[in-house]
Amino acid sequence: MVDNHNPSDSAIEVRGLRKEFGVLKAVDGISFDLKRGEFLSVFGPNGAGKTTLIKILAGLTRPSSGTARVAGYEVEEGQSEMRREIGVISHSTALYADLTPMENLIFFGKMYGLERPQESALSVLEDVGLAPRRNDRVRTFSRGMVQRLSIARAILHDPSILFLDEPFTGLDIHASNVLKEHLQSLHNKKRTILMTTHDVSCGLEMCDKVALQVMGRFAFFKDVKEFSKESFETMYFDAVRDNQFTMGIRNR
Amino acid sequence: MNLFLNQISAIVWKDFVTELKTRELFSAMFVFALLVILIFIFSVNLSVVKASEVGPGILWVAFLFSGTIGLNRSFMLEKENGCLMGLMLVPADRTAIYFGKLISNFVFLSIMELFILPLFMIFFNIDLLGHLLPLLLVIFLGTLGFCALGTLLSSLASNLKTREIMLPILLYPLLVPIVIGVVRMTGQILTGEPLSEMMNWIGLTASFDIIYIGVSIMTIDHILEE
Ligand SMILES: Nc1ncnc2c1ncn2[C@@H]1O[C@H](COP(=O)(O)OP(=O)(O)O)[C@@H](O)[C@H]1O
Ligand SMILES: [Mg+2]
Repeated sequence: MVDNHNPSDSAIEVRGLRKEFGVLKAVDGISFDLKRGEFLSVFGPNGAGKTTLIKILAGLTRPSSGTARVAGYEVEEGQSEMRREIGVISHSTALYADLTPMENLIFFGKMYGLERPQESALSVLEDVGLAPRRNDRVRTFSRGMVQRLSIARAILHDPSILFLDEPFTGLDIHASNVLKEHLQSLHNKKRTILMTTHDVSCGLEMCDKVALQVMGRFAFFKDVKEFSKESFETMYFDAVRDNQFTMGIRNR
Repeated sequence: MNLFLNQISAIVWKDFVTELKTRELFSAMFVFALLVILIFIFSVNLSVVKASEVGPGILWVAFLFSGTIGLNRSFMLEKENGCLMGLMLVPADRTAIYFGKLISNFVFLSIMELFILPLFMIFFNIDLLGHLLPLLLVIFLGTLGFCALGTLLSSLASNLKTREIMLPILLYPLLVPIVIGVVRMTGQILTGEPLSEMMNWIGLTASFDIIYIGVSIMTIDHILEE
């Protein structure tokens, strides 16, 4: 999809992004570029600020300082247009538990202003394999089924940029294979993807760029072809271990 | 503009489908309002005081307190599972979300009030049928003001851990002008006065309705944040 709003081919441009909660620096000066169609996997220990980074980029939280452009739009302004371009899967499902999958997706489809919310809803439900359960209440679903449905909600309006915050959490092997295939096909369709995950092999397998976020900073940001999986694994585990150590000191 | 209206109606539709399935909102509000009326019936000696004197106050206490239950419940639905975050992600104007919630809150409360009115009439032995139209107008004005301010404040309070307590603390003091207006008017209507006698009260309540809605439109952008 060509965007006449911004001539550059960057999908995401981040410059000196910071977010502080009191004295805690959740995001502490992150800068990077992601081109259209690229897939970035962000690894990092718990509390590194990955979720906060995604929330800022999705326009859900204001940064303390720094700028971010997503799909050519300044994240703080031009919000409505920007939101049309992005899909988000986060820790919370953002689904109404008393409604059925169909009702949920038709509702969000109408909110996105889709032409045929009914048909779009049915088609994404088929994509994530929930079509047979489309008329059951979401409250009765298992964690993995809910996760599939939140994937369906995120891709309903066919966004050009996807933010995925630990999307594999709670999925069984089959469902995570389905999600992997799906991400692969979105990647082939030149959608831009930013995903946080703890699954090293899976994250490295699919992506073009890799980042390691530690204590609010990108300690590492490289093209996936520029290093070996083993060296990254060592580095990642070291970072997580050091993080346990520093968290221990901080808590004291 | 078209999308704006569609988004409002989508929110109202969603709240209705939810309510038709759970019936939680209606039953909670109705039972509470009924209880208020019953308690007063047994504590007020209607052979000593005139029903048309105590009735209006009791009726509005029932409406407003049960309405508060509805407001809390309605925003709880949006907070559960981070649905509000989902709403923040859609390309909707924040005012569309406000008006959607305002309309569904208003309609639910109005329906509940329509069920309470006949019971009120029977228990207090007041003939409402003779002045039904003016009464409905007053109830409309009062309910609109209550929901306009209540929807704004419940979205403000929804980010606080103490939202069930904060909502009434913020809401009731600000509602005082409207409450005084509608209780006075309801009393006058029950004693058979025509609407033309109370134009100043009508003007006052209607102005506050407009003020509440206006303030909400101006501030909702800053209030509705995930
Ligand atoms: N709303 C908030 N208020 C205060 N602190 C927060 C808030 N959100 C996140 N944090 C803190 O910011 C840090 C980063 O959190 P998060 O972005 O969730 O990390 P990650 O997703 O990498 O595990 C954590 O220490 C967390 O406690
Ligand atoms: Mg996280």
